[in-house]
Amino acid sequence: MSKQIQDAYIVAAVRTPVARRNGAFRHVRPDDMLATVLRELVARVPGLDAAEIGDVIAGCAMPEAEQGMNVARIGLLLAGLPDGVPGITINRFCASGLQAVADAASRIRLGEADVMIAAGTESMSAMPQIMGNKVSLNPEIFARAENLAIAYGMGLTAEKVAQQWKVSREDQDAFAVESHRRACAAIAGGHFAAEIAPYAVKSYAPGADGTVRIAERVVEHDEGPRPDAAVDKLAKLKPVFAARGSVTAGNSSQMSDGAAAVLLMSEAALKRYDAKPIARFASFAVAGVPPEVMGIGPVEAIPRALARAGVSMADVGWTELNEAFAAQALAVMRQLEMDPARVNPLGGAIALGHPLGATGAIRSATLMAAMQRDPGLRWGMISMCIGTGMGAAGLFERV
Amino acid sequence: MSRLIIRKVAVLGAGVMGAQIAAHCANADVPVILFDLPAQEGDPNGIASKAVAGMKKLDPAPFAAKDRAQYIELANYGSDLARLGECDLVIEAIAEKMEWKLDLYAKVAPHLKAGAIFASNTSGLSIEALAAGMPVDRRSQFCGIHFFNPPRYMPLVELIPTAATDAALLDGLEAWLVTRLGKSIVRAKDTPNFVANRVGVFSILAVLHHTARLGLAFDEVDLLTGPRIGRPRSATFRTADVVGLDTLLHVLGTMQATLGSGEHADPWARHFITPDWLQALVARGALGQKTKAGIYRKQGKQIQVLDLHLQDYRDSGGEVFPDVEDILRLKNPAEKFAQLAAHTHPQAQFLWAIFRDVFHYCAVHLADIADNARDIDLAMRWGFGWAQGPFETWQAAGWRDVAEMVRDDIAHGRAMAEVPLPAWVFVRAGVHAPAGSYSAAEDMLKPRSALAVYQRQLYPDRVLGEAPDDRGETLWENAGVRLWRRADQDARIGIVSITSKMHAIGDEVMDGMLEAIARAEIELDGLVIWQPAPFAVGANLQQVDAACRAGQFALLEKMVAKFQRTSMAIKHAQVPVVVAVEGMALGGGCEFVMHAAHRVFALESYVGLVEAGVGLIPAGGGSKEFALQAHALAQRAAGGDVFPYIQNAFQTIAMATVAKSALEAVQFGFGRAGDDVLFNAHEILHAAIRRARALAESAWRPALVNPAVTVAGRNGIATCEMLLVNMAEGGFISAHDYRVAKAAATALCGGEVDSGSQVGEQWILDVERAQFIELLKTEKTQQRIAHMLETGKPLRN
Repeated sequence: MSKQIQDAYIVAAVRTPVARRNGAFRHVRPDDMLATVLRELVARVPGLDAAEIGDVIAGCAMPEAEQGMNVARIGLLLAGLPDGVPGITINRFCASGLQAVADAASRIRLGEADVMIAAGTESMSAMPQIMGNKVSLNPEIFARAENLAIAYGMGLTAEKVAQQWKVSREDQDAFAVESHRRACAAIAGGHFAAEIAPYAVKSYAPGADGTVRIAERVVEHDEGPRPDAAVDKLAKLKPVFAARGSVTAGNSSQMSDGAAAVLLMSEAALKRYDAKPIARFASFAVAGVPPEVMGIGPVEAIPRALARAGVSMADVGWTELNEAFAAQALAVMRQLEMDPARVNPLGGAIALGHPLGATGAIRSATLMAAMQRDPGLRWGMISMCIGTGMGAAGLFERV
Repeated sequence: MSRLIIRKVAVLGAGVMGAQIAAHCANADVPVILFDLPAQEGDPNGIASKAVAGMKKLDPAPFAAKDRAQYIELANYGSDLARLGECDLVIEAIAEKMEWKLDLYAKVAPHLKAGAIFASNTSGLSIEALAAGMPVDRRSQFCGIHFFNPPRYMPLVELIPTAATDAALLDGLEAWLVTRLGKSIVRAKDTPNFVANRVGVFSILAVLHHTARLGLAFDEVDLLTGPRIGRPRSATFRTADVVGLDTLLHVLGTMQATLGSGEHADPWARHFITPDWLQALVARGALGQKTKAGIYRKQGKQIQVLDLHLQDYRDSGGEVFPDVEDILRLKNPAEKFAQLAAHTHPQAQFLWAIFRDVFHYCAVHLADIADNARDIDLAMRWGFGWAQGPFETWQAAGWRDVAEMVRDDIAHGRAMAEVPLPAWVFVRAGVHAPAGSYSAAEDMLKPRSALAVYQRQLYPDRVLGEAPDDRGETLWENAGVRLWRRADQDARIGIVSITSKMHAIGDEVMDGMLEAIARAEIELDGLVIWQPAPFAVGANLQQVDAACRAGQFALLEKMVAKFQRTSMAIKHAQVPVVVAVEGMALGGGCEFVMHAAHRVFALESYVGLVEAGVGLIPAGGGSKEFALQAHALAQRAAGGDVFPYIQNAFQTIAMATVAKSALEAVQFGFGRAGDDVLFNAHEILHAAIRRARALAESAWRPALVNPAVTVAGRNGIATCEMLLVNMAEGGFISAHDYRVAKAAATALCGGEVDSGSQVGEQWILDVERAQFIELLKTEKTQQRIAHMLETGKPLRN
C-alpha cells in the first residue's frame, strides 16, 4: 500500500551516552543535549547545507519545564542551525523518538522535503516525578470503571501482563541479567563507539576558595549496565507495584537521560550530496491495546509494520525491542515467536536505560550502527510499548 | 556566675556511642565535629562518614530528622587535629582501653583550645587515672561524661569529676547537658563502673546467679524481669542480646579486673564470673541482635531461645506461675514482697532473691559509689529504664520489715554475700524524706541540686518519699479537665490539663476545654494546655463506639461538630492558647496541637493524625488545617497550585504517619516553623507559660477565619485517587482503605468543587465532618473501632 512518491533514507544517526537518572547528566539540560547531538549529526554529513533541512522533529515524552516551550526549535537554534530551519516537538510517550523518525520519513516520502532531522531528548533527572511537574487527573477516569486503567502506573500494567501472559519472576530476572551481560559485552567490544558522541559535561561547583569551580568531564559510555548483575541479587529485590507481584526495580527499565538525532534524505538529496545511505525507512505502524496491558502493544504494531513491507518476522535479523519491563518484553517475544538471539543483541533498556521520548531515536542510532557493521543484516526493526496502551514499530532495510 | 558557652563540640571516636552523641548534638543544633582514625584507603574521613551513614538506618533513630546528619562535620586524627582548637567541649568516646585513651590524650592535648572542657565517655575506667594523661594545667577542665545507649533516648548522663575538676565548670556543663541536650544528670563518684552500671550490672549478675541456681529458663526469666516488675519489655536476656553479648562479656571482665581485689574489692566479687554458656556463645560468634543470634534467635517468624538443658534453641514461650502472677498484681508492695519471700515456687523465690541481693548490694555500697540514695534510684530509672529505683522499692515495701528479711537471709547464708547490712540501715525508717535523701558517706539527708537550671523544671522526676509537688491553685474543673495556675510562675497564665484516662478526648474534655477557654478569655492573659505525657491519644473511641452501636448518628454528628468548635475555640480564643506537648499527640490530640497559637514541644513528641487506622479521617479541624496550610504555601509558589502541598498531607493522613520527633512534627505540618522544641521535657511547662506571657505582651492577635481558601477540588481528589487505584490494584491496600483515603482526599481538597475554587473555613469543616459521619456508618469502620478498643491494635479489613 505504497502511496509514497519516493523513499526516505537514513544517512547518519548519533546519540549521547545514556546516563542514569541523577547520574552523569544530573545537571545537563535536555535542550543542551539536543543541541549537542544536532551539531554532531550535521558534522557527520560533510558538505550538508543546513539551510536545506526541512524540519527538525524531536520526540519528548514530558515536553515541559527544561524541555518545554518546543524544545526542538530551542535545541536547533542552540545548535547554531540557520534560523530558517523549523522545529517541532512531538509526543507519543515512549515512542516519541521513533515517531519522529517516522514523521520525518513521511515528509520525504510525500515529497514535502528532501532533508529532514528526527531526534529525541529526555531528561528524567529534570522531572521532579515520573508524571511531570504538575500532576492532575481527570475525575471522569474514576467515575467509570472502564476508564480506571488510564490511571494505572506503568509498573502495574507490567504486572497485569505478567499475570495474563504467565511470565514468571525467574524468567524476568534471568532476562534482566542477560540484558546487562549483553550491554557490558557490547561496551567492552566497542560496539557503541560509532553511534555515541562523547558528551563533555561542564559542571559549575562552589569551590573551596569562594570561586565557582568549573570542571569538564567527558562521558563516553552508557551508565546503566552493571557488570555484577546476577540472578541471586535480583531475586532479593521486592516487587514495587504489587504486594505479591513479580516486577522489581531490577527487571524494569532504568530511568535515564539522553538524546539522539537521525538525518534522513530523499534519493535526490543523496545524489546531490553524494551521500551514502545506511538504510531505507521501510514501514511504520502504531496500534492501541487496552491501557491495563499497555506493555503488550508491540504485538499489535509489529505484525502491521511487517505486513506493510511484505516482510515476515523470520526475515528480521535485528530487533531493538524496548525493555520497558522484562515482563512485557518476554510476553511480546513469546507471542510473536521472536528469536531471543536477534532481539536486543547489545542489551536493552533494563541495562542501557530508557530516557522515554529519546529512546526511539537512540535505538535508531544503535540499529544503524549494527547495519553498518554487518553487511549480512538486511531487515532491522525498532519497537516499543507506549503508556496508556499502544505499541509502535518501525522497519528499516539496509541498502 | 558567668555562663559556660559551648559553641562547638568535638567527639573523638565514631563508634556506637561517639557517633550517636554527635548525632544528638546535631539534633540540638550544636555544631559538632566527629573524629576517628584516618581510613587506610579512600576518603580519609571514611570511618566517621560510614558511621554517620549507618546511623541513618538505625531504629530507634539517632537523628530526630533526616536532615540532621548533614550537620555533623567529619574529621580524622591524621590531618584535622588542629580543628580541635575550634571546640569548647571535647568528648572522648573511643574503645575502653586505658593505654589507647592515654595515647590519644597525649596526641590531642596540644591542640585543645584554652579553657575547653575535655571529658571522657568511659563507662567505667578510673577518671583520675585518665586525668593523669592530660597536662597538669588542663586537669581542672577534665571530667567523666558518661552517656547511656542510645544517647538520644536514655536520659541519664553521669558526670564524674576528679579532685581537680573546676566546680563552676562542672556546674556549667551540667546545666548545658540538662537544657541543651535534654539529659538527666547524676553526679557520680570515681569508682569502677560509676553508679548505674555498677548497680545495673550487679543486678544482671544476680539474675544470672539465681536463674542458674533455681534452674529457670531464659524466656521465663524475661517474663518475670520485664514490665511485671517495672522494668523494660526487653527485660534481662533480650536486653543482653540488644546490647551485645561481647559487650556484656567485656563489662563483666571489667568488673572482675577492677572490683575483684585491691582498693575497690567488692564483697560480691566471687560472683563476678562469666557463665560458660555465655563464653561459648561469644566464642562461636553468636553476639546477639547484631549477629542475628544470641540468647534468642529468629527462625522465620518464630522467636527461639537458647535452652541450657537441651543445649540447643527451642521455640520461645514460658509462663508465669499463676500464684506468682497474682502476687505481682498486688498493689501493696509490703504484701507483695512478704508473699514472694514466703512462697516456695522457684519463680517467687527468684524474684525475692534478685530484689534482696540488689537491696543488699546498694545498701552496702551507697557510701562508696553515690552521694545519696536518690542518685542511685534516679540513675537506675534514667539509665536502665526501671520504673522505680531499688531504694524506693525497698522503702515502699516497708523499710524496716524488708531490712529484717534481708538480714535474716544474710544470716542464713541465702544472700549472695555474707557482708552485713550497714548499721545505718537499722537506725532509719527509709532513705528518702521531704528534706532530702540519705547520704551514707556524710550521714545526712541531702536536698536536690540548687543549680539554677533546675528552676526550669516545675515537675521533675521525684523519688518516693520526697516532698510532694506544688499542684497549683485550681480555678475550675470538671470530669475531663482541670483549669489551674501556678501563681509563683505567672498568676494570669492559666494551665488547662486533660485529666481523662490516657488523656483521651471525650465529651467532658471538650466541654471542659470550651469552659476553660471562656474563663481564660475573661480572667486570664493566656492559657497553656499541658499534662504529663502522653499529651493525648485521640478522641474517646469508647463514646464513639457506644453511639455507633446505638445508631445515634445525629448525636455523633453533634459530637464531631463540638470537636470542631473546640478546635476553633483554641485557635480563635481572645487570649493566646499555647500547647506544651510531650509524648504522643495523636488524632484529636494532634488536632488540638495544630489549632494552638503556638506549640512548645519536647523533642520526644510523637505526633500524627492516625484516624485512618480506625477507618476514619481527621474531622476535628485537622483536614481543614492542612487545606489552609496548602493555601498559604501555594501563595508563595509560582503558579499558586495548592495540590503539591495537599499531596504531602494526603499521604501523611492516608498512611497515618506519625512524626517520631518534634522536629519531624514541624516538618510534616503538625507544627510550624517558629514553634519551640525543647530537649528537656521537664522544661516545657516553664517555657510554655513564658511563651504565653510573651504572646500576651506582644503583638499577638487571635487568628482571623479565612473566608477564601483556595482548594484543590475535583482534580485534586482525582489525582489522589490515582495513587489509591494503583495501591488497591497492586494489593497494597484494601477496598476500605481506599474508601477511607478517598474521604481524606475529599476533605483535604475541600469537596467535589472545581479545582481552584475558593471556600470558607466552615465549608471545609462541613466537608470533613460529613465524610467522617459517612465512614462511621460503614460496617468496616465500626469493626476497626471495636477491634482497636479490644486489642489496642489497628485492624486491616
